[in-house]
Amino acid sequence: MSALAVVTAHSTIVLPHIRYLAILPEIVMLGGAVLLLGIASLVRRPLRVTVSTVGTIVIAGTSLGLALWQWADISSHGPYTAIDHAVVVDGFSVLITITVACAMILSALVGDGYLRREGVDGCEFHVLAMVSATGAMFMGEANDLIIVFLGLEIMSIALYVLAAMNHRRAASGEAALKYFVLGGFSSAVFIYGVALTYGATGTTNLTQIADFLSHNVIASNGVLLAGLSLLLVGFLFKVAAVPFHMWTPDVYQGAPSPVTGFMAAVAKAGGFAALLRVFVSSFGTLQSDWRPILYAVAVITLLFGAGVALVQRDVKRVLAYSSINHAGFVLLGVEAATAQGVSASLYYLFTYTFMTIGAFAVVTLLGRRGDGHHDIASYRGLAGRQPLLALAFAVLLLAQAGAPFTTGFLAKFQVVDASVNAGSVPLAVIAMVSAAIAAFFYLRIGLIMYTPVAGKGFLPGIEPLDDDEANAGPSGESETDGTGDAAPAELSAGNGQRPVWSGTEGAVVVRTQLNAELLLDTAPGEVQVLDPSEDIVEADAVDDETAAESAAEDTAKVPVPALAALAIGLCVAVTVVFGVIPAPLIDFAHKATLLFIP
Amino acid sequence: MIKPTLVDQYLAIFLLLVVGVLFAAGSFVASATLGPKKKPSGAKVAPYECGIVPDKEPPSRFPVRFYLVAMIFIIFDIEIVFLYPFAVIFRQLGSFGLVEVLIFSVVVFVSLLYLVSTGALSWGPAKRLQSGMPSRTSESTITRITAEADGPSTHQAA
Repeated sequence: MSALAVVTAHSTIVLPHIRYLAILPEIVMLGGAVLLLGIASLVRRPLRVTVSTVGTIVIAGTSLGLALWQWADISSHGPYTAIDHAVVVDGFSVLITITVACAMILSALVGDGYLRREGVDGCEFHVLAMVSATGAMFMGEANDLIIVFLGLEIMSIALYVLAAMNHRRAASGEAALKYFVLGGFSSAVFIYGVALTYGATGTTNLTQIADFLSHNVIASNGVLLAGLSLLLVGFLFKVAAVPFHMWTPDVYQGAPSPVTGFMAAVAKAGGFAALLRVFVSSFGTLQSDWRPILYAVAVITLLFGAGVALVQRDVKRVLAYSSINHAGFVLLGVEAATAQGVSASLYYLFTYTFMTIGAFAVVTLLGRRGDGHHDIASYRGLAGRQPLLALAFAVLLLAQAGAPFTTGFLAKFQVVDASVNAGSVPLAVIAMVSAAIAAFFYLRIGLIMYTPVAGKGFLPGIEPLDDDEANAGPSGESETDGTGDAAPAELSAGNGQRPVWSGTEGAVVVRTQLNAELLLDTAPGEVQVLDPSEDIVEADAVDDETAAESAAEDTAKVPVPALAALAIGLCVAVTVVFGVIPAPLIDFAHKATLLFIP
Repeated sequence: MIKPTLVDQYLAIFLLLVVGVLFAAGSFVASATLGPKKKPSGAKVAPYECGIVPDKEPPSRFPVRFYLVAMIFIIFDIEIVFLYPFAVIFRQLGSFGLVEVLIFSVVVFVSLLYLVSTGALSWGPAKRLQSGMPSRTSESTITRITAEADGPSTHQAA
């Protein structure tokens, strides 16, 4: 004890100068989360959702305002590093902070309606989301591998818990466990990469790593390359690039829908921010080593994401694979490893945030109470029931597909342009091919939304049952399944505007007989009556009872809370307005890159 | 000259390794020599259920609360890990270190507050359950009524 006192008495610790202004958005976000948690713990009843939502929006809004103030500050005084060069405040980091803060506000708006619908009180969703957002902000600001790791863990651990939010659904817990186990493993791989990099370069500071590598030529750089590849694995897991994407569809499907949107936006923003900063600036001198790896990863990510999404029936899974495809596009910008590539990637991340949160907001609403109606069939005829919602979803999907006059098109254009200018023409071509493949499944959802439901057609001539199909027996019952995949023209060919049952008596009998077994109070004798009108009534009644979820609920309108509508509206507005008037946002991303300090 | 010092440096680690292996092997040997030789009969290993011979695996019930307490313990254990080095050199760190540790403590304290408010630390039947997630069933309601028999209803009616 006394020996220790002697040892420590004479040494002085040099404390770094802490410039709190540099991390003020993060302090506000995290402090706000802690404050909200404290208040929620002290009040007698569980905190009302409204209070949590308003609190979160105020906190995230303050954080956003501070980030904008930082932007003004560095625009006039230039970027700087702070706290012993561990964090950096430049255009890049501020843009990521703004992106994450926007994602937080939008997710709070979407989550409000979700939590109300599911009857969840309390502040856990908001507090965890804010903590996670803080982690993502730190990943954008980090100028030290340790801070990157810290941000990664703060972001991920909160996301693991968020994925398990819906503890009544087994899928939610399963998703969280999968995410947790695989995420923990990838974090371990990442920190091992940090250790090896430290061993090779003698520092974890990104600027000093860049300095070291530019002034020294390492004769045998096996350790450094091993560290580099392990870091890459850690990042690619977080952004869901292909060899490390296995968790994505299950987690996206299992997690509550607002959480999925938040996760898609924030985890990608944070992961790509750190990936860009570490690889493009720190390991810039090793480009010839890591660019081919990213090239290959980008190719398989693009093609796999687009290809597998084609055969999915669950809309959340479709969007999960589409997010893998998007990750491939952002990788295009990283692979370019130029200022233009960084700028394009930042623009992509910013616009993707709005597209994905908006899309998942619509999915949240259409999931209905219990958050379970995500089959593509339940989207049929949405345009007839709720034209505005369908229009918003269609716009967001088209933007993700890269339709002109949306930010999605500009984002794709810019990364492809950057890739071409960096000399990776084949990669750019593959990206465009994958965009064409991806457009198919976005349009498929759009087409299904604008295809009317059986018997409620607002377009004449489209009927659910073909004569042949109906007479074939029980398969004719698939009112909600078969017709969406067939072209409307084919269906409208023979049937004209006859009532549904006129040509399908055989089918009605078959169906009634089948369903009679399911009805407890109907004797088999009653069913055999061959009066078409009675039969159809009975058949419908049976349908409603046996398939209460799919038949009755799927055609019911979903309630659209005002705040969720506001969030969707904001997402659509940003996507369309900045797609038509591209200059401000592109300049923003460009300027952010100019203020980028390696 | 360098070789002997290397050996000196790693000798301790090597000795630790040897001691570790010896301890593990010794444990096995000791338990084999000192333990009872006869294997217990089938009746001895069978679970006791009121004297009736059980024909299926008995449901083994244990409170999940132990896991919860263990997890909470880990959180606050980590707090000690951070506080101890601070306590050793807090004079050198000065007021800066004090403020930082206070902030850290406040954050951990708020999480303790949250745990208390959700009833994670109250032993016995849960007095206050959080209002649940979606579909309320009669079964879940019965569970809750049983749990809340001794306290006022705190969750919001759906």
